[in-house]
Amino acid sequence: MLSSGEFGTSIVVADLEAGIGTLSRLGDSQVDLTLVVVEPTPRSLDVGRRAIDLARENKQGRVIVVVNKVVDVETDLALVREKLGDAELVVVPDDDAVLDADRAGTALLDHAPDCPAARALVELVDLVFDSAA
Amino acid sequence: MKIAVVGKGGAGKTTTSAVLARSLARQGREVVALDCDTNPNLGISLGVGDLETERLVSLREQLDDGDVEHAADWDEILDRFGTDGPDGVRLGVITRIENPDPG
Ligand SMILES: Nc1ncnc2c1ncn2[C@@H]1O[C@H](COP(=O)(O)OP(=O)(O)OP(=O)(O)O)[C@@H](O)[C@H]1O
Ligand SMILES: [Mg+2]
Repeated sequence: MLSSGEFGTSIVVADLEAGIGTLSRLGDSQVDLTLVVVEPTPRSLDVGRRAIDLARENKQGRVIVVVNKVVDVETDLALVREKLGDAELVVVPDDDAVLDADRAGTALLDHAPDCPAARALVELVDLVFDSAA
Repeated sequence: MKIAVVGKGGAGKTTTSAVLARSLARQGREVVALDCDTNPNLGISLGVGDLETERLVSLREQLDDGDVEHAADWDEILDRFGTDGPDGVRLGVITRIENPDPG
């Protein structure tokens, strides 16, 4: 379905269902970039590990891991490295502003555009167009 | 460029998708955000509001129930089942994105 689309010059951002079900049913080479969002917990990283393997196996472009809800960079990233090896990482801090925005039913960028989590996520844009694939 | 956002439940996929989509749009790029979750809420995180998000979800359900005709292509899908969100991001609520055909 993705590949059938004539999206022209548009950038498509597809928020998939939780888990790796959709990714596993997607054909080969359907996307140019797979963002694997993980929390620094063993269970979340297990899913992340499987998603990374699947994305690589099925050639879903470059893989970037978004490590979300990071509380302590050192310990959290140590666990991530242990589970995910040398994957390309982006760190997003744990930030109550995200919960507040959700509670208010608003977008983070409208609710708290300068909060640490929003700043970290906005920086993703530069990585997306970074040619260092 | 097509970007898939994946991960365990509650990891932050929707938050990430929403901020990324709007940030890309703010750079002047045309962005289509696709909510492929069976429990769609990307619209709320993008900032289109819960009413509009609900409207898109129910439109989508009618389509899945066969109450309305399938769309022929992506542009038509987005016209009929999508909405224009903040910063010009176009949002579509999609089921079964892994299927070969749109609709
Ligand atoms: N950086 C963060 N700091 C604190 N809380 C966060 C952060 N990112 C996300 N959250 C919270 O975690 C929860 C899940 O976030 P989100 O809806 O983005 O995840 P998801 O992966 O899309 O979830 P689902 O699998 O249900 O679709 C929300 O309550 C959100 O407010
Ligand atoms: Mg979600």
